[in-house]
Amino acid sequence: MSEKPKTEDKKFNIKNLIKIPAVLGLTIGFISAFLQALLISAGGPEAYGFCVVCHTRDLVNSISKNLFGTTFPTAPFSAVFPTLTIIGVIIGGLLASKRNKEFRFKKGSIKSYIFYFIGGILVMIFGLMLGACPYRAALRTAYGDMIALIGIVSIFIGVFIGTRIIIIKMKKESV
Amino acid sequence: MPGWLAANIAVYLVPISTLIIGFVVGYMAQRSGFCSIGGFRDLLLFKQTRLFIGYLALIGGAALGYFIFSLIIPVAFPTYPKVVTGGFAALPGAPNAASVYGVLAMAVVGGIGLGLLGVLLGGCPLRQIVMSSEGNLNSIFFIIGLCVGVIIFYMFIVANLVNIINALFPA
Repeated sequence: MSEKPKTEDKKFNIKNLIKIPAVLGLTIGFISAFLQALLISAGGPEAYGFCVVCHTRDLVNSISKNLFGTTFPTAPFSAVFPTLTIIGVIIGGLLASKRNKEFRFKKGSIKSYIFYFIGGILVMIFGLMLGACPYRAALRTAYGDMIALIGIVSIFIGVFIGTRIIIIKMKKESV
Repeated sequence: MPGWLAANIAVYLVPISTLIIGFVVGYMAQRSGFCSIGGFRDLLLFKQTRLFIGYLALIGGAALGYFIFSLIIPVAFPTYPKVVTGGFAALPGAPNAASVYGVLAMAVVGGIGLGLLGVLLGGCPLRQIVMSSEGNLNSIFFIIGLCVGVIIFYMFIVANLVNIINALFPA
């Protein structure tokens, strides 16, 4: 949800700077471009610096290839060693939440676990249909790929439908 | 494809560099609450632009980065400004259709699905992973679902999907 930064602490330093989402946006974009300049010789595709869906797919398919001998595809970029983006994100988020004392176990119900589990499966399927998560869609758009731009517009339409559902649900609950 | 580094060195740097990028992004995302779909949602529901500007900054930063680095080392950006990886699909191994309309149809369906699910689950894939590292058990089940989804997609869905798309949108 949208946390507001505390007003008392407005000094300009790194600690406050990284609380601004736009700083992270610029960072992801710029690092991704740098990564391509550095490592494109490992294999394509282009605009592949950061992607939750695609990099997770590469990691899972690479592990299942080594363990069970499956032939599910990975990007040429991950042909030898897979991308470990998702593991990095987990470690980074864990360290950040531990250091700032924001880590706490938040349990759900069996119903919500099943809902999120199926949600994860569907997000992966839709993401692979688009060939991107919202992040790589942004990278591809910046690279000039108009299909990705249509993907972003579609995500926006999907969010619009979702917010309508939320509003209808809230109205039903308040009646 | 030639980059700054030789291929046999670059392959070793793939896991290391993506781990570092993931770490930096995960740390900063935890601090800022960065979320792409959350940005769209806050804009539509609450007229808040904080996260939405973050997403625009992502597109802007990437556009700037690709432009600058493609000037410095053009060989690393052979197809700039366009992503094409065999046929029309931009992701090797993802379903590829015979016509560009098929790819567009998959992008539209996939995008709407991602947006709708993102709102109902309360966050985009990156936000879910960050929430799981904050101790949210729901999000941990989401990550397990992501991994199972890969296997399900390649075992049962991809071939049928391509057949359906090609039947609907012949070349």
